[in-house]
Amino acid sequence: MAVKEILDKRVIDLKMKAVNKDEVIRHLAGLLKKAGYVEDLEGYIKDVYLREEEGITGIGGHVAIPHGKSEFVDKVGIAVGRTEQMVEWESYDEEPVDLFFLFAVPSDSEGAKGHLRLIAELAGKLGNEAIMGKLQAASTYEDLLDAFS
Amino acid sequence: MKILAITACTAGIAHTYIAKEKLENAAKELGDHIKVETQGSIGVENELTPEDIREADVILISADIRVSKDRFTGKPVVEIPISMVMKSPKGVISKIHEKMGK
Repeated sequence: MAVKEILDKRVIDLKMKAVNKDEVIRHLAGLLKKAGYVEDLEGYIKDVYLREEEGITGIGGHVAIPHGKSEFVDKVGIAVGRTEQMVEWESYDEEPVDLFFLFAVPSDSEGAKGHLRLIAELAGKLGNEAIMGKLQAASTYEDLLDAFS
Repeated sequence: MKILAITACTAGIAHTYIAKEKLENAAKELGDHIKVETQGSIGVENELTPEDIREADVILISADIRVSKDRFTGKPVVEIPISMVMKSPKGVISKIHEKMGK
């Protein structure tokens, strides 16, 4: 399996109107719900916020990776969003964010090792400066695939 | 220098793997040899072997959860929160050089 197999067009929105953290999380979580990754929207959002309280998810370079390991998640997925304007977000480089990867992971993920591995692989790529550069410039789904390939 | 590292974050989903990549790139840039074991949601990957440990100059544990140090008896171990790697991977590697006097 390759990383692009986890990038599902239905949960990617690169033209988000959201202007704050809550709108970003709600919009992307809503996409995950609609596409069947998340069973209970409010329950999932609550778990995402729990993780937010544990530590910073803005990884620098205007990218954030909020994530919820939650009993309200049915299957492993990643929603990707880019906002038209920068959004305030707690980040390691203290810069605002406009590119978001919202991870959905079921609390019991024993049966989902293959997908978790893809998530781990994708996360690893976010630690690579060359790939981060490409992501910054990505404006279409194809650009995203290209950045991760 | 031969550095061994372990990364582990609370959820084991993302930071563990981002930190691995950052450490590898920073070490490469600074001319060090590094092997990073990840302890995350998919279990232990790229496990440090007894040979790796024997040959290592230093062990770097970059974790927000408890990581067992039993394997590293007699070796210099540096422990830091994962946020330091996220913020400044090269700074972390340079600091290890300073500490080890190499």
